[in-house]
Amino acid sequence: MRQSYKIAIIFLIVMGFFPLFSNSAWLAVGTTFLIYAIVAFSQDIILGRAGAFQMGHALFFGLGAYTTAILNVHYGVPIIYTFIPAIIIPLFIGIALAGPIIHLKGDYLLVATIGFNIIFIQVIQNDIFGLTGGPNGIFGIDVVRIFGVEFMSQRAIYYMSFTLLALTLLIMRNLDGSKYGRAMFYINKDDIAAQSMGINVRYYKLYAFALGSAIAGAAGSMFAIQYSAVSPEAFNVIQSIMFFTIVLVGGSASLPGVLIGTFVMFVLPEIFREFQTARYLVFGLAMILTMILRPRGVWPVKFGNIPNYLKKKDTK
Amino acid sequence: MSDFLLEIKNVSKFFHGLVAIDDLSMKVKKGQIYGIIGPNGAGKTTLFNCITGLYKPEKGDIMWEGKRINGIAPYKIAELGILRTFQTIRLFSEMSVAENIMSGRHIKSNQRWYNGIIHTPSMIKDEKKNWLKVGELMDFFELRKYATTPAGDLSYGLQRRIEMARALAAEPKLLILDEPAAGLNENETIKLAQTIREVRDQGVTILMIEHDMDMVMSLCEYITVINFGAKISEGEPSFVQDDPVVVEAYIGSDEDE
Repeated sequence: MRQSYKIAIIFLIVMGFFPLFSNSAWLAVGTTFLIYAIVAFSQDIILGRAGAFQMGHALFFGLGAYTTAILNVHYGVPIIYTFIPAIIIPLFIGIALAGPIIHLKGDYLLVATIGFNIIFIQVIQNDIFGLTGGPNGIFGIDVVRIFGVEFMSQRAIYYMSFTLLALTLLIMRNLDGSKYGRAMFYINKDDIAAQSMGINVRYYKLYAFALGSAIAGAAGSMFAIQYSAVSPEAFNVIQSIMFFTIVLVGGSASLPGVLIGTFVMFVLPEIFREFQTARYLVFGLAMILTMILRPRGVWPVKFGNIPNYLKKKDTK
Repeated sequence: MSDFLLEIKNVSKFFHGLVAIDDLSMKVKKGQIYGIIGPNGAGKTTLFNCITGLYKPEKGDIMWEGKRINGIAPYKIAELGILRTFQTIRLFSEMSVAENIMSGRHIKSNQRWYNGIIHTPSMIKDEKKNWLKVGELMDFFELRKYATTPAGDLSYGLQRRIEMARALAAEPKLLILDEPAAGLNENETIKLAQTIREVRDQGVTILMIEHDMDMVMSLCEYITVINFGAKISEGEPSFVQDDPVVVEAYIGSDEDE
């Protein structure tokens, strides 16, 4: 995973300079990529690290987006202040929803989380309390203003997304270097052994859900700012399946894997728009082939990220 | 306070009406190397699973330092200082040897919830202390050169050593070994016996299941013999070895076939 630090830094440098060489149409594609990459990384904390088969992640992405939209459009809260609730609300709802089902194994948990996602879509489509705008969603979300300065250019939004992604990567690096991140891996690889080593499986899985949901919520808020509108279809089960697939096809817990997965699933379709539906045929095939030929993902994670002072003295 | 570290009192465990453990009692003293023997399917591993919280016995009490611990979650049992290895090795096989052993440091680490997101100076110190302990254990078990190798790629004998190192990393009071010599060659078995003695001399009580009779008889100070889930004999090795009931249980089971 030392290698993945280098890849992360190169990636951040490339993405940091990307706006200097692109027009606003490409900047919009780039922003979408950054936002979806954040969601994919947050899914990776739950699925790739803790090994919980969460297939309703678009729910938390949507919660963040709708929190910003509702607070701003209906209550006139400035965007910048909606950011914190867009993190806190998904975090607590994540804990509340996952709590009762966290003991479920693999496929059972997967079905339950799909159920949550379907209910969420049903609720927002029915314009609950007149807040969610029904099937059309909510329009006219304000631009970000800080001390009266408007950040409305595509470049400004791009760099906000970029900052959020950089923060996400920093959090994931810290997670991997702590007992919390390791506990998730132990549970993922063998939960019986993990328990016997004194690891509270339920607690660490919920921790993963809380952290993943909070980050997805932040990305949702960014999504609302980017499109200045939110609507139910951006957060349905198909989107959840996409996030799930990105992690498995790219490589669980693998930074380059998740980036490649996000690029293939969300950016290539934007680039090859003229091929329309044919592209899904190609992607579907690519997903099937990856699972057959590289079951651990296109770029599988490498373990063994231990401090250098433990690696010395190995010649005796 | 009782003299015994671990007391099993009239414990019974059933699976769908079948008796796996039948009214079993035994007492393990602090500092002992205690052996459990018996034919295959006698319920030895089931007993270990009851002690470590993976199973809940239907009847009886499991007492740890005088307190009842049956029905307590496995992770809490580990926090009490009861650590184990598995008959069918259970390592985090894709992860490196050092990371595997580090899992034993989990309960000794004092990191807080926010340290998964933000690192603090005290957390970095804690992290370093625990990795150094992992280094010590890798030296003790001669695993240093495999530090970054995935545990699953190594030989059976090495994997058994990693499992023991992982359990010892948690600084247990009681180390439970489930057939530690299974799959080892003669040299490895002799070395294992020596290692177990050294661990005991560091103050760790040992409770083990083993089929290698030479090893059990030379290593253990007290032995309980189980057959069909029930205790049929107990005592010092010299007594158990010549107990006609034990001889019959072992040889008699051959005659049935």
